[in-house]
Amino acid sequence: MSNFDKVYIVGAGQTKYEKKTDKHVIRLMWEAADLALQNAGLQWSDVDGLGQTCFTLAPENVTTVAEHFGIECRFLFQGLYGGASGCIGMHHAARAIQAGDADCVIILAADAFNVDSHMNMNRSAGQHDYMGVWGYGAANGVFAMQTRLYMERYGAKSEDFGRLCIAFRQNAQLNPNALLRGEMTMDDYLNARQIADPLRLYDCVLPCCGADAIVMVSERLAERLKGPKTRLLSAGEMHNYPASDIYALSAGWETFSPRMWEQSGLTPQDMDVVQLYDDYPVMCFVQLEGMGFAEKGQAARLFKERDCTVRGTFPVNTGGGQLSAGQCGASGGMIGVTEAIFQLHGQAGERQVPDARRAAVSGYGAVSYGRGLSASACILERV
Amino acid sequence: MSNELKPQPRINAINRPFWEACNEDKLHIQQCQSPNCGKWAYFPRVCCPHCGSGDLAWKDASGEGEIKTFAVIRRPQHPSFFPEAPYYLIAVQLKEGPLMYSRLQHPYEQGLELVGRKVSVTFTDHGPQQRLPFFVLQEDSGAAVV
Repeated sequence: MSNFDKVYIVGAGQTKYEKKTDKHVIRLMWEAADLALQNAGLQWSDVDGLGQTCFTLAPENVTTVAEHFGIECRFLFQGLYGGASGCIGMHHAARAIQAGDADCVIILAADAFNVDSHMNMNRSAGQHDYMGVWGYGAANGVFAMQTRLYMERYGAKSEDFGRLCIAFRQNAQLNPNALLRGEMTMDDYLNARQIADPLRLYDCVLPCCGADAIVMVSERLAERLKGPKTRLLSAGEMHNYPASDIYALSAGWETFSPRMWEQSGLTPQDMDVVQLYDDYPVMCFVQLEGMGFAEKGQAARLFKERDCTVRGTFPVNTGGGQLSAGQCGASGGMIGVTEAIFQLHGQAGERQVPDARRAAVSGYGAVSYGRGLSASACILERV
Repeated sequence: MSNELKPQPRINAINRPFWEACNEDKLHIQQCQSPNCGKWAYFPRVCCPHCGSGDLAWKDASGEGEIKTFAVIRRPQHPSFFPEAPYYLIAVQLKEGPLMYSRLQHPYEQGLELVGRKVSVTFTDHGPQQRLPFFVLQEDSGAAVV
């Protein structure tokens, strides 16, 4: 049934998330990759493929990082899709491994980010020249406008976004690596300072420093490993969708999700954990709707009617997500992937969802003129 | 810091006609010249994003449109904007079709509900060498949002 029946994800690694670091971002990449290899029981000498995403690496790139690490690679992937790159990198690596092009691929993302580097990123024309010149407030301004439109169109209230943020915060309280672990009530959420109305402080991620990585291997390599293994059952991606409408409140998940679910042989109801790209709460709603977890405009009901914490029946962003763990720049596109693997492999510590076997992970990124251009997702199942 | 020059557009072969027209207080956007299309495009392109034709012409736009969504920017991305905050960032659906991001021109009240309001273009200085299109509310457009 699955596309990738000879491909296994065998390890994950995440560095410490920190508000500041003296480490170079390539060191952060190495640390996450090394942790993932140790987690899998593999050596650097096994690695023959690398995929990486990083906003602050230029003029270095995946090829020069391979040089830096001293690894000979038969497969490379440079994530150019922002926070959609984690799922897409896994997907492309799975194709390469299935085809026999590579045996052991590390997919990673990293950044050493703070508010200033976030605000001062070198940006595409769509963002810099046709929004930035007017003082658009960076991504906060872009997603404040998306959030207002969602509220206007579907009647969502601030409290709807607040419930999501509070559930993620409760998950973060069980994650020693999350940067925001203080208790948050609805009053705290609603009374936080406004950043770009209708967005308040806790609708926005905390830029930070760190890296996330996973290791994917062929069946041949997997056979000698003793640890838990996860299969990528299916995945999808869509870009610049819909081309003619910036305010469709979609980036294309609904275009590939029917095929993704069909190839996986599973349905949204079969998922034990869901990891969304939570740059802003509104995009979590859009992802849940696009992937079929809720009808269009109805995702808020999930957070109203179900317990979305790790103790509940619908655990979402089980490590706290970017909203409470922090956003290490491009690593925001990998945090959901590593968290899913920790959960499926029973390595999530206090926040472990009992016997989690199946996960949906989504990605979103490449913010340009008024929206993110890239949507991605994948379905994972522990063997 | 607030005296710093504001972020400037990176003028190139694609967008030069747009920015030069701004400096003459004119809003020029592109219209596809293909007989089967004729649609308008903004931001500046090398080809029509609707049909793929390379035959685009710069035309005088009406300068009128309707606010589709907006944000109140309290923490701008660059210190040069700090003295002006908070301000309204607006997404204007131009009469010709395309969506254009801009800002509401002073003076304005706080706490406005702007979705659906009609606006007209105006131009304002953006540093010594560039004029920038902003928008003002049309007088009679308040009734639409009761």
